[in-house]
Amino acid sequence: MLNRKIKVLAISLCLMGILLSLTGLGIAGSILRYASPWPVKIDPGIGSDGQALTAQVNLLDPLVFPDTKGNIVPHLAESWDVSPDGLTYTFYLRPGVKFHDGRELTAEDVKFSMDRLLTMGGGSAYRWSGCVQETEVVDKYTVVFHLKTVYGPFFSTLPLFFIVNKGLIMENIKSGEYGEMGDYGKAYVSINDVGSGPYIIKNYQTGEYLLMEKNPNYFLDVGTAPDEFKMVGSNQPVLVKTLMKNREIEMNSKWGAPDLYEALAKIEGVEIAKWQNTGFLYSYRMNTKKPPLDDIHVRKALSWALDYDAAMQLVPGSVQAIGPVPGHMLSDKNAFQYHRDLEKAKLELKQSKYYGHFDEYPMEVIWDSSPVMEKYAMLLASNAADIGLNLNVGETTWSLLCETVSKIETTPHIRINPMAAEIPDPAGLLKQQYHSETTGTFNQLEWLLDPVFDKMIEETIATLDEEERLEKCREALRYIVDLAPSIFVVECPEIHAYQAAYMDWPSAKGESMPYVEYSNSVRLIKIDDEKRKELLKK
Amino acid sequence: MRNKRVKLIIERFFYSLLVLLGLSILIFVMSRIMPGDSARMALGESAPEEAVENLRITMHYYEPLYIQYFYWFKNILHGDFGNSLVTNRPVLEDIVRNLPATFELATFAFLFMSIAGITVGVLSARYKNTWVDNLGRIISYFGVVTPSFVVAIMGMLVFCYLLNVLPAMGRLSPELIVPPRITGFITIDALIQSNFKVFFDAVKHLILPTVSLGLLGVGTQARITRGSVYKNMKKDFITAAVSYGIPERVILFRDLLRPSLAGPISLIGLQFGSLMANAFLVELIFNWPGFARYGMNAILQNDLNAISGIVLTMGVIFVLSNIIVDFIVNFLDPRIHLIKERNE
Repeated sequence: MLNRKIKVLAISLCLMGILLSLTGLGIAGSILRYASPWPVKIDPGIGSDGQALTAQVNLLDPLVFPDTKGNIVPHLAESWDVSPDGLTYTFYLRPGVKFHDGRELTAEDVKFSMDRLLTMGGGSAYRWSGCVQETEVVDKYTVVFHLKTVYGPFFSTLPLFFIVNKGLIMENIKSGEYGEMGDYGKAYVSINDVGSGPYIIKNYQTGEYLLMEKNPNYFLDVGTAPDEFKMVGSNQPVLVKTLMKNREIEMNSKWGAPDLYEALAKIEGVEIAKWQNTGFLYSYRMNTKKPPLDDIHVRKALSWALDYDAAMQLVPGSVQAIGPVPGHMLSDKNAFQYHRDLEKAKLELKQSKYYGHFDEYPMEVIWDSSPVMEKYAMLLASNAADIGLNLNVGETTWSLLCETVSKIETTPHIRINPMAAEIPDPAGLLKQQYHSETTGTFNQLEWLLDPVFDKMIEETIATLDEEERLEKCREALRYIVDLAPSIFVVECPEIHAYQAAYMDWPSAKGESMPYVEYSNSVRLIKIDDEKRKELLKK
Repeated sequence: MRNKRVKLIIERFFYSLLVLLGLSILIFVMSRIMPGDSARMALGESAPEEAVENLRITMHYYEPLYIQYFYWFKNILHGDFGNSLVTNRPVLEDIVRNLPATFELATFAFLFMSIAGITVGVLSARYKNTWVDNLGRIISYFGVVTPSFVVAIMGMLVFCYLLNVLPAMGRLSPELIVPPRITGFITIDALIQSNFKVFFDAVKHLILPTVSLGLLGVGTQARITRGSVYKNMKKDFITAAVSYGIPERVILFRDLLRPSLAGPISLIGLQFGSLMANAFLVELIFNWPGFARYGMNAILQNDLNAISGIVLTMGVIFVLSNIIVDFIVNFLDPRIHLIKERNE
């Protein structure tokens, strides 16, 4: 009898404890929580995807910063000079900027950051590996980049070049594959703070979240910024909906499916923000060396067969693409755009050397990563069937794709490809997608290998004058559109759901910067904690 | 008897080593022949080919498979699984960091599965063909046919989204600090340090993931226990116990349960390993920072070193849990050991 009473008492106490803890626990200070894909690679030498850049934009600082029009303004660098031949860029650093560990940021750190990036070869290194020859320290606050060749867009790439703490990294070098530099601090930087940015790592649970707190000693004013910024590792739709409704996150990532945003928009106080300048450009990348796509008529036939209106419906807010470069980056009134015309498509097919023998050349269109890409793949397959072409739809994984595109024979016929214009550099974008040096990488499935285009884009990139460079870009773009190595489908806006009731987000009000993930610069965002608490009471 | 048990331990240990050796060869070969360029994945799609090639050489990519296995096995014996190609940290470090979260979840799911499953099974057997039995049957079938991720999502929608009475993610509320690590189980560490607020909060966070993960096992356990208990209910010793006037509750959960548990316990051993391995979907949905989710990410990103380390760790867990189960079964039902002796 006594034992039974003790058991009942113990169980009741446990239940009470659970019930007591059911009451909400308050949050001290304002916090911005962001539901992000995972993992987050905070090392700029390793990570360059969306979530990596979101973390780096807040933990680290670049030499220069973009404004909403894409102009470059001083940041760590107060001023700069460019030599007349365009091969030497000299930056004069702002004195007194401190890393989070108290060390001062100097030219040595800038040199170290570039050297590290280029040696490791990961992250965003590809932007500079073809153009930066050497980085020179002139004095404590002066650093010079010597370029191998003239690279017109060099300046516009610099907002994505982040400076890391040389002293701290060198203290934590382990043995590795980089000679006397060991592992270049890879193991250390993957989970530790080496930045000078507006936010400092407070707690990094690598499997769960990255919590950052405001840097009280930041060289710019961060008074109105949230006290904390937390990246929560979850993109799972039901969880995101639940967290958004319960005001446990303030915004979600751009990788949600359209129906998720529809559901989130129905939550009181939540709005959907869209902007075009860092959105995705979807295109079908075609292997131009694999029959029957080695025949331009077949490629053009598919371009005429696609239902562009249906494609635009797949992601609300989309517009038809005009080529491989987003329209906001390179407007071209003379640009040619395909539209669905089955007669023209069939006429093109009749001109093809494979006409009447298409069954001997089965084709596949592959997709990976997201359900939206599957829908685009199925759309093309369906439209191709309207003109008698049989396309098999197949799924692949990212790792398998990287391997199969290394050779012409194993590169699939067609892949639906989302491309985000990370920086406003149309020339770089064209080169990345079609220059011969990018064949065999995931950037180019076309295997274009066109010396005419290679020369055209190299001359474009070597043009220092911006207007002249843009005009040459337009010529290169028209050349590509004429060759039809890809089908340019839609430009989709970047979309986020956010707690508009208590979050003041400049990007949501039309002030987004045309640099990927700079919209997530938390120091520019304001959170009204009182309004949040009022909403929670409802 | 004690000497026989010691002999059993040594025997099981030896066979386990053979199993693990075979597993290591299998997983090594499979991970190496898997399509996908691991070096490219590790350095990123835009890394220069030179850097990727250097990494391939470091990984002995171009050596014969048996040479690669030799290097890999040599390192394993020193506790070195290599560095994760994704996190760039030692795989062992990542496993040690992530394993306790899954272990805690699996342990709670295991307890839930065992207690609930056996209770439902016993009651179903006692009240065979009544509404109690039918209810037990519904619970069992629901648990068996409903995938864990469906239960997880349904539970989240009802208890987190609609009712907002349970947390939707993580192991602890963000305002609370994780107690200093002793076992890695937040619940146990909090209890040891008398931090009851953290303990109850951690338990609250465990409720939905535990039920989602364990419900399948509840169904299976209930059906097997029901069959086993019902078979023993007709035995003479039970009739004798009833005739002595021993309370029914005591007969059911003391006299009847022990001889009926051989079957369910054997299954439990296998199920614990399955809980550990299959937790990844539940961990993904609840943003649980566990080992299974780490493993899934490793597979998706072709992180060879991590895949090998994870599968070996799972192999060790499976083998250990089966050894433990063998002993428990032997303890519960010595007749199994006697039958084996008679056969020899």
